[in-house]
Amino acid sequence: MMRTGIFVLPLTAGILAAQTGPDTTRRSTMPVLKMEIPAAGTLVAVTNATIITASHGTIDKGTIIIRNGKIAALGKDLAVPAGAQVIDGTGKYVMPGIIDEHSHSSGEAINEGTRSVTAQVRMQDVLREDDISLYRQLAGGVTTINVLHGSANTIGGQNAVMKLRWGLPVDSMMFAGAPPGIKFALGENVRQTNGGNAPGRPQRYPRTRMGVEELLRESFTRAKEYQAEWKAYDDAKAQGHKGTKDFVEPIPPRKDLQLDALVEILEGKRLVHAHSYRSDEILMLLKVAKDFGFRIASLQHVLEGYKVADEIAAAGTGASTFADNWAYKLEAFDAIPYNAALMAERGVNVTINSDSDERARRLYQEAAKAMKYGGASEETAIRMITLNAAMQLGVDKMTGSIDIGKDADLAIFSGHPFAPTSRVEMTLIDGRVFFDRNKAPTLANLIEQLKRRARPNTTEGAQ
Amino acid sequence: MRLTPVVRALTLAAALLPPLVAPLYAQSDTWALTNARIQTVTKGVIDKGTILIRKGLIEAVGPAVAIPADARVMDLAGKTVTPGLIDLTSSLGLAAPAAGGGGGGGGGGAQAAPSGPRGLEPDRDIARELKVAPGDIKSLRDAGIAVVLVSPSRGLFRGMSALVPLRDSVDDSEVLRSQVALHIGYQGVGGDYPGTLLGVIAYQRQAFYDAQRQGLIEDRYRTNPRGIGRPDHDPALDALVPVVRGQKPAFFDANNENEIRRAVRLAKEFNLKATIVGATEGFEAVDALAGRPTVVSMNFPQPAQTTGWSYRLSQRREPNDSAASAKEAQTQIEGNAGALNKAGIKIALATGGTRPADFLANVRKAIAAGLPASVALEALTIRPAELAGAGEMLGSIEAGKIANLVVTNGDILADSAHITTVFVDGIRYEVAPPPARAAGGSGSTTAAAQIGGTWTMTLNSPQGPLDITMTVTQTGATFTGSMVSQIGTNDITGGEIAGRVATWTTVVNVGGQSITINYRGEVDGSRMTGSAELGSFGNATFTAEKKP
Repeated sequence: MMRTGIFVLPLTAGILAAQTGPDTTRRSTMPVLKMEIPAAGTLVAVTNATIITASHGTIDKGTIIIRNGKIAALGKDLAVPAGAQVIDGTGKYVMPGIIDEHSHSSGEAINEGTRSVTAQVRMQDVLREDDISLYRQLAGGVTTINVLHGSANTIGGQNAVMKLRWGLPVDSMMFAGAPPGIKFALGENVRQTNGGNAPGRPQRYPRTRMGVEELLRESFTRAKEYQAEWKAYDDAKAQGHKGTKDFVEPIPPRKDLQLDALVEILEGKRLVHAHSYRSDEILMLLKVAKDFGFRIASLQHVLEGYKVADEIAAAGTGASTFADNWAYKLEAFDAIPYNAALMAERGVNVTINSDSDERARRLYQEAAKAMKYGGASEETAIRMITLNAAMQLGVDKMTGSIDIGKDADLAIFSGHPFAPTSRVEMTLIDGRVFFDRNKAPTLANLIEQLKRRARPNTTEGAQ
Repeated sequence: MRLTPVVRALTLAAALLPPLVAPLYAQSDTWALTNARIQTVTKGVIDKGTILIRKGLIEAVGPAVAIPADARVMDLAGKTVTPGLIDLTSSLGLAAPAAGGGGGGGGGGAQAAPSGPRGLEPDRDIARELKVAPGDIKSLRDAGIAVVLVSPSRGLFRGMSALVPLRDSVDDSEVLRSQVALHIGYQGVGGDYPGTLLGVIAYQRQAFYDAQRQGLIEDRYRTNPRGIGRPDHDPALDALVPVVRGQKPAFFDANNENEIRRAVRLAKEFNLKATIVGATEGFEAVDALAGRPTVVSMNFPQPAQTTGWSYRLSQRREPNDSAASAKEAQTQIEGNAGALNKAGIKIALATGGTRPADFLANVRKAIAAGLPASVALEALTIRPAELAGAGEMLGSIEAGKIANLVVTNGDILADSAHITTVFVDGIRYEVAPPPARAAGGSGSTTAAAQIGGTWTMTLNSPQGPLDITMTVTQTGATFTGSMVSQIGTNDITGGEIAGRVATWTTVVNVGGQSITINYRGEVDGSRMTGSAELGSFGNATFTAEKKP
């Protein structure tokens, strides 16, 4: 988790003085976090840009009109409404805000590894809004992240889908309307193959892949019993109220937060994101899910997914993988860089994720690798970090592509996002500019300031 | 010959009470404190008045109080009397969790702990396990503190606190109130569920749901037991029932912004009668604290330990900019209590683990940073009394209240004030004057603390507590040594002592990465408390005890 610093620079006095608008929700008085929070609900127009929609091709020299945080109009030759804040997109590329399907950023705890089933724990309880990596990810065009529990447990904790509204309290970063989810994990991490055998440390069940399957089945069997217990209570209550005066109100069953979450999975209300590597364990999990009547929303890592792509596609399950990161442990050896493209070819909804604060800043380059290695089309590769991720998270009605009615979550690049020299100029969430390279504390901006201070009477260009 | 009351009392005292045995008579003593400036807190200031103390209570107070014949008179001309201060953040007399001792707890569905409480015992009744030695008390009382609320300092359900007067000998019969509040924190249980912050909050949430159901079953059973099985006897759950019903206060130990928001979120979820205790970053969470009384710690964090600093540290800076912004942050940190007061939040001030001798000095810093002195005075006396459910007993100088008083030369909150006498339950304790400065010495050239020897340390890192054994060899104001823990043996480098502040560095190797850890500890005899910067792993606090 050690990270070397990137060139994120100081908002020194001049910039610090920049006011926060009257309707901003700035609440931090701490000088260290002082920053401008963009106003909400305004009228914005991004003009004359190359617009990569991710859903219906690319629009040359197009304009996006944003009203109240939503994309209100889109196309060529659109008139800019009076009073709109205009962002000149000449020569620039606009793509949907990037969605990282696998993140642990801003979690103050990641693994409640004391038990192998911890469906009751919630990432949302442990987030912190001042994790610098959130800001760095904004600078890489990321607007939405799926903060997952770690992979220590067969059934880990509940996820948190966040929009990177940097500068606001963490409660204000939650993605409203995103369906709840949960982390599962299979294989070596759960078996504690690597490092779980320290002398004197009690061994935790399960120790084998057999045990992992058994624990999954046992947990969902418990959940079904619990579900039935509550149904019997609800029925008795409903029945009783219709009946006689002698009716004694039944005592409700114990509310069990762990089983509540598992029942939500059985009822299709909670999306499962399952850490997995090997093809055999992937098939095992799909079978368990089928037996209990629920769908796995996404397989995470899924480095051997190319071997069982048809089965994954048939289950309606997504795959969220690395572009070219493998061999870091035994179960991650049988990987190939063609994985993403091959799975996509077989009809799997594929995303490329980071699982890393660092990689999250350059997911657009990771997506480009699907074109290089697997021959994926540009649109397919773009979707791997936008629309497909929105689908895996169940938020594709709200974000993930540039379409009328969706949230104005946009990344504006200096050139094509897949070109090696391009970089993010501006990142918008709900039409608000949360990152602007011109105002960001970059090294270039700092040097400019220092120069000006050294020659206070010289105006720019006077040399 | 007509004797004035003063002379009469003095004569009596001289005749009856050999001074050396005075403490033996202490509690039944009748005292008349005369000619004092009296800050009653609730009824204004009496510029020159008398306080009459009898049987541990204030019998009368006013500008003209008749002095009975049996009263010993203390002429306090030129002095100020203030109600004894109340600190709601004490762990006085409680065994350290690792030491076992404790007794009490163990209930609550959790398996029996191998030794002592684990921080999972809502039913732990602190009043029953107090073991207070006079030595523990003196430094607090000398700082003007007459009453403390005692609770364990770690754990997620720490137990029910006790309100304790700082007399030289205290046992449970002297406790002012027991089971004052349930104390809640965020430390997990080592090696078992809940082990991390994730599990801790989930555990708390589940426990409150369980308590709601327990209350429901108990009520139903009480109303009509027909058809209902007897409620399970579960002391831990039973202890939570009044808390989840908002009848018993819940004190959340929450300091940084995120902790405060987490605590308030849980309090709202279950409609708890919650008080945030600590709140050193309350100024960042004024919106969350609005409408809640808050116990504000005077143990100021270092700027680098506060929320947002990781962003600050990641920035490229101009030379010396760091120091300037640290100073700016310090002002903000010290202005915390003032900011909360300005936002209309009722506050009590507490030591929060700062050295008792620094307590009032830090309160003065808070005043300098914007807290009105009158509010500070209330926040040291009547507010904490009310929060501890003892507003009728403590917190002001009024007839009928307990005679807890602080005598100072000058106003207690003035920079030059020093405490001369403290009364607790009407017992008089003299406070030795501060040690004279070395002749000619104008600065604070205190000698370096001696820390050579072996220390047992607990490092409270974001990843959980780590037990460390530290061996130190000191030469003058520098030291070397090693630190041994489950992550290996690491040499101490750059060890320096300035006064009682020790700073040193170790480099540890975790998962193939080397991390430089900077420690800063304040030495207080055989104890040391301080903080450690763990690079990108965050910051930690530590406590250490020197082995005898």
